[in-house]
Amino acid sequence: MKRLGEALTLAGMAGAGLTLWLGLTWAPSVAIEAFESPDAQRIFYWHVPSAWAAMLSFLFLFIGSTMWFFKRQQWAWRLHVASSEAGLATGLMCVLSGTIWGAAEWGIPWDWTDVRLNTFAMLTLLSLFLVLGRRSQPDGIETRDTFSTFGMYGFLLVPITYFATRIWQIRHPGPVVGTSEGSLNSDMGLVLLAGAISFTILIVGHIISGMRLADLELRLEDLASKYEEVI
Amino acid sequence: MSGQIYLATAYLGMISALAIWTWTVLTRSHSLESRIEALEKSLGNGEE
Repeated sequence: MKRLGEALTLAGMAGAGLTLWLGLTWAPSVAIEAFESPDAQRIFYWHVPSAWAAMLSFLFLFIGSTMWFFKRQQWAWRLHVASSEAGLATGLMCVLSGTIWGAAEWGIPWDWTDVRLNTFAMLTLLSLFLVLGRRSQPDGIETRDTFSTFGMYGFLLVPITYFATRIWQIRHPGPVVGTSEGSLNSDMGLVLLAGAISFTILIVGHIISGMRLADLELRLEDLASKYEEVI
Repeated sequence: MSGQIYLATAYLGMISALAIWTWTVLTRSHSLESRIEALEKSLGNGEE
């Protein structure tokens, strides 16, 4: 499992690097008159895949939280731990790139009235709360149940975030793939697909590595308590 | 600022975030492995 996680992470990073290169050199430019900042539009080739990876992480977080809460499966708790960290990293990447693109395209980095921006930020903050909260609390059934509950109910924000631009088109652009209103040409779509596949491999590799890490932490705690008993 | 500066800033930020995250996971994993190995050795010696 150690090698699998590391191999997938490295393969995902290589794919993300290829996506970046294709996005900068091969993908066509957007129509200059349609954008305030056509150059900054290329942020899109990592911004959207990182958002996709974050959503996948929140899905894994939901599965891990639910399976821990109702079935008390140890693997599920490790999945909760790994996917909350993955959700935080990819969520921050998405928010960071989005604010920079917003500053270039809209003239402001954030719009507090936009539902998509704010629900996604809440999801990222939820994963920050789970990561920091877990590190500051002693491990135990009650702690795990509390954080799992947040992981389960927090998932409600995922469909709201996904459908937000379809229901309330405030500032964030609407969907450009999987819809008849999409404005993506085929080369752009290909680079975006490469990004989505790469970030999926990357996130799966990271979650496998993260689950192993959580397992090592539990083993270390167990050994440390045995060591104290022996002494 | 020009669009290219925004683009470079965004990509540098995302690459840094990705690199730090990956580095943290790998180093934490190696550090935990060596601590577990040391504790197992100590426990093994204690039982002998």
